[in-house]
Amino acid sequence: MSAGEVLVVGGGSAAHRFAERLHHHGHSGGVTLLGAEPAAPYHRVLLTSVLDGTLPPAALELPALPDGVRMRAGTTAVRIDRARRLVHADDGSVHRYDTLVLATGARPVLPRIPGLPRPGTSDAVTALRTLADAERVLRASPDARRTVVLGGGLLGVEAAAALARAGHEVALVHRGPHPLDRHLDADAGKLLAGRLAGLGVDVHCGREAAAYCAGKLTLDDGAVLAADTLLLCTGAVPETALARRAGLAVGTGVLVDGRLSTDDPRIHAIGDCAEHPGAAAGHLEPAWEQAESLARQLTGAGPRGAGYRGTRCVTRLRVPGIDLVRLGGRPAGAAGPGGGSGSGAGAGAGAGSAEGSAEGSAEGSAEVVTVADPARGRYARLTLHGQRVTDAVLLGLPRAIAALTRLHEHGLPVPAGRLEFLLGIEPAPPGADELPGDAVVCRCNNVTKHAITEACRAGAADVEQVAAATRATTGCGGCTSTVRKLCGMARTGGSTS
Amino acid sequence: MTGKTRTLVVAGHGMAGHRLVEELRTLDTAGAWRVVVLAEEPHAAYDRVALSSYLDGRSAAELGLPAPGLASDPRVELRLATAAASIDRAARTVTTTAGDTVGYDALVLATGSKPFVPPVPGHELTGCFTYRTLTDLDAIREAAVPGRPGVVIGGGLLGLEAANALRLLGMEPHVVELAPRLMPVQVDAAGGGVLGRRVEDRGLRVHCGVATASVQAGPDGRARAVVLADGTELEAAVVVFSAGVRPRDELAGPAGLDRGERGGFLVDGLCRTADERIWAVGECAAVSGRCYGLAAPGYRMAESVARQLCGLGGDPFGEADMSTRLKLLGVEVASFGDAHAGTDGALELSRLDEARGTYAKLVLGSDCRTLLGGILVGDAAAYGELQPFVGRALPSAGHRLLAAAG
Repeated sequence: MSAGEVLVVGGGSAAHRFAERLHHHGHSGGVTLLGAEPAAPYHRVLLTSVLDGTLPPAALELPALPDGVRMRAGTTAVRIDRARRLVHADDGSVHRYDTLVLATGARPVLPRIPGLPRPGTSDAVTALRTLADAERVLRASPDARRTVVLGGGLLGVEAAAALARAGHEVALVHRGPHPLDRHLDADAGKLLAGRLAGLGVDVHCGREAAAYCAGKLTLDDGAVLAADTLLLCTGAVPETALARRAGLAVGTGVLVDGRLSTDDPRIHAIGDCAEHPGAAAGHLEPAWEQAESLARQLTGAGPRGAGYRGTRCVTRLRVPGIDLVRLGGRPAGAAGPGGGSGSGAGAGAGAGSAEGSAEGSAEGSAEVVTVADPARGRYARLTLHGQRVTDAVLLGLPRAIAALTRLHEHGLPVPAGRLEFLLGIEPAPPGADELPGDAVVCRCNNVTKHAITEACRAGAADVEQVAAATRATTGCGGCTSTVRKLCGMARTGGSTS
Repeated sequence: MTGKTRTLVVAGHGMAGHRLVEELRTLDTAGAWRVVVLAEEPHAAYDRVALSSYLDGRSAAELGLPAPGLASDPRVELRLATAAASIDRAARTVTTTAGDTVGYDALVLATGSKPFVPPVPGHELTGCFTYRTLTDLDAIREAAVPGRPGVVIGGGLLGLEAANALRLLGMEPHVVELAPRLMPVQVDAAGGGVLGRRVEDRGLRVHCGVATASVQAGPDGRARAVVLADGTELEAAVVVFSAGVRPRDELAGPAGLDRGERGGFLVDGLCRTADERIWAVGECAAVSGRCYGLAAPGYRMAESVARQLCGLGGDPFGEADMSTRLKLLGVEVASFGDAHAGTDGALELSRLDEARGTYAKLVLGSDCRTLLGGILVGDAAAYGELQPFVGRALPSAGHRLLAAAG
């Protein structure tokens, strides 16, 4: 079947990738993108690199769209006429489709704080979703660089670190007990908070914003933070208004099946606006895989499974010097660049989707492996089913992160040599199991290996006789097997290994 | 040595006092010492560590600690059911609870511990017990009502033993622990979780993270129920307090001997009090201020003092090893070395296996190589292969422990 005239609502990463893949797989009909933002498609995930000055805004621009793809930037779709297969836009234009793809992304959830100006009306208060938002922060004058980031999810943490690098005086306010509390347990969260403090970020956890007034944010404990700029990173939700108005089935996002179809077979949804049981919202990888999968289905291109089955979730914190990744699991209700799961005051983010495994393979009993190395800022917690990762958090372990991410993405088992795999600790060398003579074998009675071998040499032939001679094994009895082994070796003159 | 026989009085015949006497009998080949042992209990020293087996078929005689030839040894006089009541340091005499006065050249205090009973309302009711002596166990056996619930206050090692004892007596045991997990001294949160699930599988009802508010009396004036701080009421035909121990140091004050900050006879590394003729060993001794509630450190103290009494010079008592391995309600638990990673720069590695119900944790030094300690729950088979390596390079058993089940 031919997809005919393809209309894409959205001009972000998912829309761009889809148009490119559609062309790649030989789609012959027309393709039109309606982008609400004035800019050409850009790489939203890199917004924090604009904040810290690593990249100029122009560097975020994605490669030019394939020839023949029409891009209408600054055009917001307002209504779908499913009967006539038409989309009406805010500039009065009307666009016909045979196939409609919704890639409307997500929109920030803004907290209700007394005194907060309406977003867009002041450069001093802004969300961080678009290039325009980032440029608003960049316009802050050099002598007004006290910045408060509200929301300690991925986006909030990344933004706070980026602004600290750029020389801002940054405070991070987070409702949860530690940053990224949707992803990290208390141990890892404490480590991360320490690392952020080390970057110069003033971290306030367990706090909500109570009021905003002219460059000052008051917290619920009465503390007042100077905020020349207030950055709202309080989560994001799928942009579903258009689909909802068109009567399409919507949950947290626009509901899609394995064909990435909505309940109207001519209308599809991909990326942050879509809700598929196998994909976590707010991540680039599922968006790209959905774009590829849909392009293949619409063009009848070669096999890659019968359709889209989900993406193994990999969540990376993009802060230079802090290696942090979460594999599997599912961040609840997160959407947006880097999944701004931060929850600030009044944010409604997170309603809907529950914690759970994106892989749906969490049945059966788990194996949980942990590494806690606070002195070196390293932490890992892996939940495995059948040797495969179903949920994992790793911090400060770059090599293990790279290796485990690869295994996770391919659904491969984790090697049995866990110490070597996670920490690079070599297996015990030959001879390492040989007890030195002065090692205490029986702690209860303070008997050394030497004393036991001497007793054997003096004629003790079994555990009872060694016990009579040395008292070894007569306490808790925990050393009995070791003493028996030593007796046996004394008889045969063998060594421990 | 003057050749004249001197008198050693040992106040207490628990495990430490017993070891002191046995060690002295071995070392004192010249017969320099006559020993008077004042044993408060009606039994000679027995294996208190294995106390619970008394309710599982072992007799008092079988629990007795081996002392070959003690009864016929003319050098040793063992006075049962007789405790030291007071010390007159100037006269160098001990007055016993029987009213006798015994002179000493040397005095070793080995009075042990007494159970700590939290002063909750109702703690003195009939039907409330402690769990430390054979006499306690006789009383619990007498009071047990098969098929009825019994409540143990305290989820440490002894509390779980007491719960098992109630189970052996046919009762339905509950355990109440103030800490958020069972055996908080020996295991960490994850290990405590596995332990809790395993013992619950064996019929134990576990209530952690909650204080005991009171013991309620029934119409007959006996303990009827235990009320928890959260309002829960647990029916209880028998209540056993097992909430830790306190050193038996009541002789110290009247005798003018110093006590440690948290109780116990204050002694130095050689177990000497400030009086050169008086030592303290075992659980009643606050060695450099700290008391040790395990048999092994008590044995080391006893051996050290016996050597000093024989002029052989004792080893100063340094860091005590608190390693423990036991099987409770069919669940193996071991804890050794720096189990809670208190060492600077230590790192912890753990593996929990839900299918097998096992948990293993290793603590390594900052070189990521030296084994500092560990915790094993559900399967402690690796204890023998790991524990002697504390302070040394991690052996292959440690690597195997964290690998997948084979």
